[in-house]
Amino acid sequence: MGRWTLTALAGAALVLAAMPAQAAWKTYVNKELGFSFMAPGEVKTGIGNFRASIAGPHQTIVYRSTEDGVEYKVTVINFPQAQAEGAAILGEREYTFADRKKVLMDKFSRVGSGKDAVYGRKIVVDLPDNKGRATGAFYFTKGRLIYLEATALPAKADSASADADRFVESISFVLTRPDPGAVELQVPAIN
Amino acid sequence: MRIMTVLPALVAAALAGMPAPASAAWKGYISHPLGFSFAAPGELKVEKGTYRADVAGARDTVVYRFVDDDIEYRVVVVDVRDKANDSANLLGEAAYTFQDGKKLLMDAFGRVERHIGRKLTIDLPNNGGRTLAAFYFTRGRIVSLQATVLPANGDYDSPEPARFIDSIAFETTRAPDDAIELPAPPR
Repeated sequence: MGRWTLTALAGAALVLAAMPAQAAWKTYVNKELGFSFMAPGEVKTGIGNFRASIAGPHQTIVYRSTEDGVEYKVTVINFPQAQAEGAAILGEREYTFADRKKVLMDKFSRVGSGKDAVYGRKIVVDLPDNKGRATGAFYFTKGRLIYLEATALPAKADSASADADRFVESISFVLTRPDPGAVELQVPAIN
Repeated sequence: MRIMTVLPALVAAALAGMPAPASAAWKGYISHPLGFSFAAPGELKVEKGTYRADVAGARDTVVYRFVDDDIEYRVVVVDVRDKANDSANLLGEAAYTFQDGKKLLMDAFGRVERHIGRKLTIDLPNNGGRTLAAFYFTRGRIVSLQATVLPANGDYDSPEPARFIDSIAFETTRAPDDAIELPAPPR
């Protein structure tokens, strides 16, 4: 009996050792921009560029991590002079995300409730040329377009869907009770 | 006995040969102050309504309403100019609320010029008919076109609702030359 127990324990240890190490998920908060989210891996801050027909050209703030074949990315674009155009800017970004791709899901998304609710869309697409699957969530609030994208390599598309969901669903625009262990994000200077 | 058999058949044949109820002519309508135009059949009625939602709050609405061939056509305008900077959220809330708790049959992008909104089809509860709607935001207002095929019509695949929904234009130069200027709402 003892030998069976030892064998079972050894087997379990082998299975655990064979599993890829999963990075812990952490909460990231940006008090200046007013949102928080959760992501695995090491989140790095960067600056990017964005151009669209209605929105025009803009610099973007990007928070990005990569874990187990999935890229997690939060993009923020400021529109201080065009807040009243928010509906069109948001719609355009959602449209371009889904355009010419195989749309697997496109549905309403609501973050928060009551008068603090923020309405957007959650969209899942298969990328062209078998480049993988992207899950996106899109919002425009307080003069900023904020969108989360989790892009999985083709081999990870199915197995990563739960993590992609967890990432895009983790967004919060109410920071009244921040996670005490949350990592505070910095806002890089952009033009 | 023969008369009893032939007469109903003759009546049925005569009824079948009668033209269907004539649909009213479609006319173009335009509002320069509100910044949109559309086309609809039937007689225009202007009504006031109310809209209430958590983000938008309680609002008066202006409703341009038509009924033709048991299809109800409505253009609902919600003035949210004091919250126009929250346009994306207000538009999302209006579309979300429209379909919430209903059987959603279609949910698609709606693009008209620079305006991107949503087009939705729902079945109304209790066999109340089917509504095709579009939601846009322009000049500080939520503009929603809603065409409901009532059970008395029953042709839920009728092309008329789509004709109405797709007639919206925000560049007033796209309106027909003979478009009728929409009256101001009743006070």
